[in-house]
Amino acid sequence: MSHIHIPDGVLPLWLVLVGWIATATIISLCVRRVREIELARKLPLIGIVSALMIVGMSLEIVPIGYHINMTVIAGIILGPALGFLSAFMVDLILAMFGHGGITVVGLNTLILGSETVLGFYLFRVLLSVCGKSSFSTVLAAALGTIFTLIISTSLMIGVVYVSQVNPERALHIEKNSAGKILVFELHGEHGEYEIPADKKINITTFASIVLFLGMFGWILESAISGLVIRYISHVRPDLILPMEILRERT
Amino acid sequence: MDIGTIDYWAIGKRSFLHSASPLYKIIFVISIIVSVVITNNFVVLISIYLTLLGLVVLTRLPFFKVVWISAYPAIFAMLFAVSSWHGDWIVPANIVLKALDAALATVILIVTTPYPSVFSLISPFLPRVIVEGLFLTYRSLFILLGLMGNLIRALKVRGGLSPGRYVKNVTNFASGIGLLIIRGLELSERLYGVMSIRGYSGRLAGEEIRKRFTQEDIVPVTVGLLILFISLGERFKRGLGQYSIYFFIASASFVFGAAFYVYLLYVLGGVYWKK
Repeated sequence: MSHIHIPDGVLPLWLVLVGWIATATIISLCVRRVREIELARKLPLIGIVSALMIVGMSLEIVPIGYHINMTVIAGIILGPALGFLSAFMVDLILAMFGHGGITVVGLNTLILGSETVLGFYLFRVLLSVCGKSSFSTVLAAALGTIFTLIISTSLMIGVVYVSQVNPERALHIEKNSAGKILVFELHGEHGEYEIPADKKINITTFASIVLFLGMFGWILESAISGLVIRYISHVRPDLILPMEILRERT
Repeated sequence: MDIGTIDYWAIGKRSFLHSASPLYKIIFVISIIVSVVITNNFVVLISIYLTLLGLVVLTRLPFFKVVWISAYPAIFAMLFAVSSWHGDWIVPANIVLKALDAALATVILIVTTPYPSVFSLISPFLPRVIVEGLFLTYRSLFILLGLMGNLIRALKVRGGLSPGRYVKNVTNFASGIGLLIIRGLELSERLYGVMSIRGYSGRLAGEEIRKRFTQEDIVPVTVGLLILFISLGERFKRGLGQYSIYFFIASASFVFGAAFYVYLLYVLGGVYWKK
């Protein structure tokens, strides 16, 4: 567990829209990029890795919604562009099962997608730093996972923090026009566009709970990711390792 | 969350919501989600939840299982609710109810509509690679669930998952996941090969979705639009909020009425209503 699937109706609409726009832009860039690779051969891989993420996220380790993500494994296997597309698909399917809001699929994709992208790059960087042995592969995957999850959890806390910011100031919305439909307070009939202080989410409490719960998840997930990548590197190294390392090993 | 069971309910069971067109059920879900986003009235939110519970009762699917699946996001919403606690219970309660309402609406859609039908409707708005990816993910999900069941059984039989041996269990479980990925990939590649032999050239034929409005679509569309109008009225027309108690009474009566109807249906085996 590294992220919280944000429910519908909790975040302000302007932030939800920003999330969708950002996700749509990244998806269009990813689609353009994957056209260059042999997509037909990669499709079964996308399917199975996305399905694995869904199964991982639907299995509770502790019955408080605590689950593993496997997004870093997905990123390592699929690469950043396909990994981000896979994160979107997983979020869309999970949202239909009520696991995370439909309106916040955009924001959730940004958080989950960041894990696949960061996971891939951190794994490659750490692999070049740690060496090319089998143990370095495990170490690179485990460390990559833990750093990725710390960053993505911070991103999620950041999203909740930004939701407290006055959008009128952030988006330069006129007070008497679009602002009325873009801002919805959590409760009450406030004519003001500022969310009252007593209705805001207490970001310190929120961050404390998330970081405390997340810590155990990061350790568990990094251990699982490291071991899964070790297994794959023994059986099908071509799925995860760069060509130069594969050449050296053979 | 048992994805296999949800799929079975969507395909194998019959009810008035199963017969409704996926298009109108999606309109129903959109109406509920928009209502949930715009309203901040506790009574309206709880009334929406009661109305949705009434619909679940009428589908005659396992009531508590469906409600339990939809209650999953409440765990996450609780986190937001706890962080919003300022001595007033209404804000945290609204957050949890918003999550529950939206989740129950989407779960009602997915337990009464086969997944590929939902894909077909949203596919015009998505890039081709995502549409095909969604289809292959759906297919791979059941391959993986089958493999996973066998794997966990094999691990237990061979002592791979033993109580108290946490490190060994995690190591074996992780190797199992690695095996699942590779085995699943092989099966998926085989599926892809079969599809290619049968003429697949990068485009999947979409399912034909009924768009004509029929009597089966009346209930989801009416309920969805009614809830949307009430929420809009409550949100933007000052003074209407005080009448939300009538919505609560109506929705509570709807749940009890639905439960009584289903009870009669079970007791009398439908004979009374046929007469």
